[in-house]
Amino acid sequence: MMRNDPIKHVFIWPAVLVVLAISIFPLIYSLTTSFLSYRLIPPIPPRVVWLGNYVTLLQEPRFWNALFTTTLIALIAVGLQYAIGFGVALALNARVPGERLFRVALLLPMLLAPVAVALVARMIFNPTMGPLNQFLAKFGLANLPFLTNGHWALACIIAVEVWQWTPFIILMMLAGLQTLPEDVYEAAELENASAWQQFWGITFPMMLPISAAVVFIRLIESYKIMDTVFVMTGGGPGVDTETLTLFAYQEGFKKFNLGYTSALSFLFLIAITIIGVTYLALLRPHLEKRR
Amino acid sequence: MLRRTFLMLTTSLAIAGAASQANAACSPDYTGVTLTVASQTGPYIASALKLGADEWAKKTCGKVNVVEFPWSELYPKIATSLTASDATFDLVSFAPAWLPDFVPYLSEMPKEMQSGKDWDDIEPAYRERLMVWEGKIYSQSMDGDVHTYTYRTDLFSDPKEKDAFKAKYGYDLAPPKTWKQYLDIAEFFQRPDKGLWGTAEAFRRGGQQFWFFFSHAAAYTNNPNYPGAMFFDPETMDAQINNPGWVKGLEEYIRASKLGPPNALNFSFGEVNAAVAGGQVAESIGWGDTGVIAADPKQSKISGKVGSAMLPGSDEIWNAKSKKWDKFPSVLPGPFMAFGGWQIAVPKAGKNQQAAWDFVKTLTSPDVSGQAAITGGSGVNPYRKSHTANLQLWSKIFTPEEAKEYLGAQSDSINAKNVALDMRLPGYFSYTEVVEIELGKALAGQTTPQAALDAMAKEWNRLTDEFGRAKQLAAYRAAMGLPPKN
Repeated sequence: MMRNDPIKHVFIWPAVLVVLAISIFPLIYSLTTSFLSYRLIPPIPPRVVWLGNYVTLLQEPRFWNALFTTTLIALIAVGLQYAIGFGVALALNARVPGERLFRVALLLPMLLAPVAVALVARMIFNPTMGPLNQFLAKFGLANLPFLTNGHWALACIIAVEVWQWTPFIILMMLAGLQTLPEDVYEAAELENASAWQQFWGITFPMMLPISAAVVFIRLIESYKIMDTVFVMTGGGPGVDTETLTLFAYQEGFKKFNLGYTSALSFLFLIAITIIGVTYLALLRPHLEKRR
Repeated sequence: MLRRTFLMLTTSLAIAGAASQANAACSPDYTGVTLTVASQTGPYIASALKLGADEWAKKTCGKVNVVEFPWSELYPKIATSLTASDATFDLVSFAPAWLPDFVPYLSEMPKEMQSGKDWDDIEPAYRERLMVWEGKIYSQSMDGDVHTYTYRTDLFSDPKEKDAFKAKYGYDLAPPKTWKQYLDIAEFFQRPDKGLWGTAEAFRRGGQQFWFFFSHAAAYTNNPNYPGAMFFDPETMDAQINNPGWVKGLEEYIRASKLGPPNALNFSFGEVNAAVAGGQVAESIGWGDTGVIAADPKQSKISGKVGSAMLPGSDEIWNAKSKKWDKFPSVLPGPFMAFGGWQIAVPKAGKNQQAAWDFVKTLTSPDVSGQAAITGGSGVNPYRKSHTANLQLWSKIFTPEEAKEYLGAQSDSINAKNVALDMRLPGYFSYTEVVEIELGKALAGQTTPQAALDAMAKEWNRLTDEFGRAKQLAAYRAAMGLPPKN
């Protein structure tokens, strides 16, 4: 086929149109809406406010609180997921007895719907009827305010996130570990390198590229946390556990404040982009060293 | 040939006769019609809709499909469908407070449904106030909602408890007339070591929390000398939620949260009912479901020991006009029509409007709704005169004494001269969201009651300006049953 054969248009344009229709146009529409004061309920005719929604949002303590809460959940949850996940993957890679059973059992949480997990968690953390407080009461401990105190509620959400998504890290890290060359370890053994030295000198550096990718995926996903928080605390008490997506949901689908919600979504996009770019920039020197 | 023709004619007549007989059983005949109703997740309300659906199916041969959504999802689902003018739902069940937002998309109730014996049987508080928007009827009440007081008669009639209470507080142990007495009683029965706590109310964000707070505040803010000024000044539309009456209501609501079971802050109305029926608390406030569930031996440990009364009140009420406390010669009870009872309406975009209104007629008929009202967990509370007048109906679940108190509390509250109406305003969720957030902070001790209420008032005034003060004022006056302002 010649490079200038017009047939190429038949193949390219449908794909371009589909991408435009499902991705670019909604984005442009949303960006346009973010410059409007536009409410569906009560119906108020759209009015151009240019950067008004963005300025209001940046002056809104609730936005900063949501950004801080989301960041806190994402950083702590992903940090724990990585540490635990890598540890478990190393154990599984060492071919412990019953490794296959562990592998299947450990993957189960990831296969459950987050809403279902959050519902179960809400029951477990129920202050009066929940098994956790009943268990603690057996040892004479006072009922803990799991979901009614801001700090406890955040800790519970992080615990659920870690429980559900650590298996993803285990899966990815285990796959990575199984591709590592055996001869490097054999050489290290000959040099009498301890297990600890082997880990820091060989395993960790060689796993760095996959670690970077896995943490990046989880970090972005964690910033989008919604269902777990919605079911477990609804963002409360007050706004102590309100995340950016939940804030956007409240504004968009409870108050139908479309202009404001669009601006919020774009600020969210900007925040995630900054975090992603910073993360990759910080890791780049280490990754380039590996090449 | 003649014989064959005769045979065919006879067969045709027989088939036609059978068909007309079948159709006669369906009156009016809605064979092949399937109505879709949006409801909150059952059993509350959804089970009542299903009960009505079964009756309607028997009568008309039509079908009703009840689609359930969690409470917090119901408003967005209905609002999205209505604003898009799609025909997803033939009927929508919702809170009266949402009516102002939905009115532009609803069809008016047929005139023939607005008269007759069944129509007159609806309590005037619903028929003449909550079902009306700008002089027109767009929805039908399918549930009556007013907050009342529930208590354990076994504790209140125990001579030892009575003596101890009188010795401590200097007055008789009885259903409270004031909120101070309510808190005294809660404090008196607060005995965690015996698995008994003072009171149970909803305090959880998204768990019907703010209606319980409104019930406390109604006693101090719904002033008969300046009607309709509980939430906003009906002359200026300035928010009133931070006036001294509201502050007192919030302080007492916070105090009540400390006299409940552990972590009562996580209670929604469901947990309140569980605590009452489980015999964990001495008293409680809430909707009529509490009494019905607590009386049901299958669901309750205190059946046969359930007392009911009107909400406590006050002899001092804040006057939003004079900005002073008005003193009254005696305590005025403070009933509050919290939520105001579920309503059902027919969207304009619906394709089966006639059938849909016919279903509403069956669902809300005295017989079907009466059956729902006495079914624990249906979520339907009395809203017809016949519901509270028919003691025989209630004898299935209550003892005669329980029935008398329960029905008396319901009827007296709805028909009280000073009954406070719930807020109904366009942009309702925007107004209540800030209430929920600030209540959460105040209950957790992160802010003072005054500061929390000031934040609510500031946001309410900002929202009113954003939505259009004149438009909101007109809507608020209509909701409070006040004439339009010239």
